[in-house]
Amino acid sequence: MSRLAIGCAFTVLALALAFAARPAPETATDRVDRIAAELRCPVCQGLSVRDSPSETARDMRDLVAQRVAEGRSDDAIRDEFRAAYGDWIVLRPPLLSPAGLVWLAPILLVAGGAALALRLARAPASAPAAPPDQDALAALRARVARDEEADA
Amino acid sequence: MTHWRWLAVTAVVALVVVLALGFRRDPRDVRTGTVGKPAPAFELARLDGGGAVALRELAGKAVIVNFFASWCLPCKEEHPVLLRAWERYRTSGVVIVGILYQDDDAAGLDFLRRLGGTWPTVRDEGGRTALAYGVFGIPETFFIGTDGIIAGRHVGPLDDATLTAAIEAIRPKAPQ
Repeated sequence: MSRLAIGCAFTVLALALAFAARPAPETATDRVDRIAAELRCPVCQGLSVRDSPSETARDMRDLVAQRVAEGRSDDAIRDEFRAAYGDWIVLRPPLLSPAGLVWLAPILLVAGGAALALRLARAPASAPAAPPDQDALAALRARVARDEEADA
Repeated sequence: MTHWRWLAVTAVVALVVVLALGFRRDPRDVRTGTVGKPAPAFELARLDGGGAVALRELAGKAVIVNFFASWCLPCKEEHPVLLRAWERYRTSGVVIVGILYQDDDAAGLDFLRRLGGTWPTVRDEGGRTALAYGVFGIPETFFIGTDGIIAGRHVGPLDDATLTAAIEAIRPKAPQ
């Protein structure tokens, strides 16, 4: 009975923790912040629209907020900026784009290098050594034997 | 191993080609998504209170859209270039539209009063038109052909040769 009670207590505790740790539903402000964090500020050095204090970034945040209020999807909002600025404007451009090649190239290089290394490791060793010449071997043994006798 | 050698040679050649093409590009030639596409529509209020300017009303004309501000020194530097082009082409189916960028109307009007310029100049509330065109910084100029397509853009102050070449490329041709 006590085991059952302990098991129930742990189950209830686990459920309570899972409930408490569940992600809160995203508010419109959260969504604006998230999308703004994905966009590059065009007049800054490596800052997102969310992090930049510039007036251009503020205009972009306002436009994102307006589009969110209008019910546009995340993709539609990103596409609007990409139509004006190209893929450059998103901090994580799609992999299959000229900008995405910057991210894809190192992965391809590493994969290519690994494939090459694997191939070299699996390749048979260079041609097997030819069997030793029996006469030369006998002569060598005889010489070793003579040397050992001389040393003895 | 032969095909691996070919692969390596191809990769090196591809890298050299990419670098060669990259180094040949003018770093100031920043391309946005809007060049080669229909110009984003706008209808913006004139600074002088004389109504609005709508891009659709300029259909069939070559339109030079110039983003500027009174606080921008390079804009002041390029202004005489715009004045000369306006005097030369205003009767040839070419329109300049000045769009005041991140500035207040009074400062914009004072800028025009001091430096001249009678082309329509409008305000861009919330920078929406600048964002639609993909403006990076000012001065920035877009060249819209008679077909409504953005034929090109120039980042930074214009000079006479650049502006004349851009206008000649898009202005309506005289009837034969």
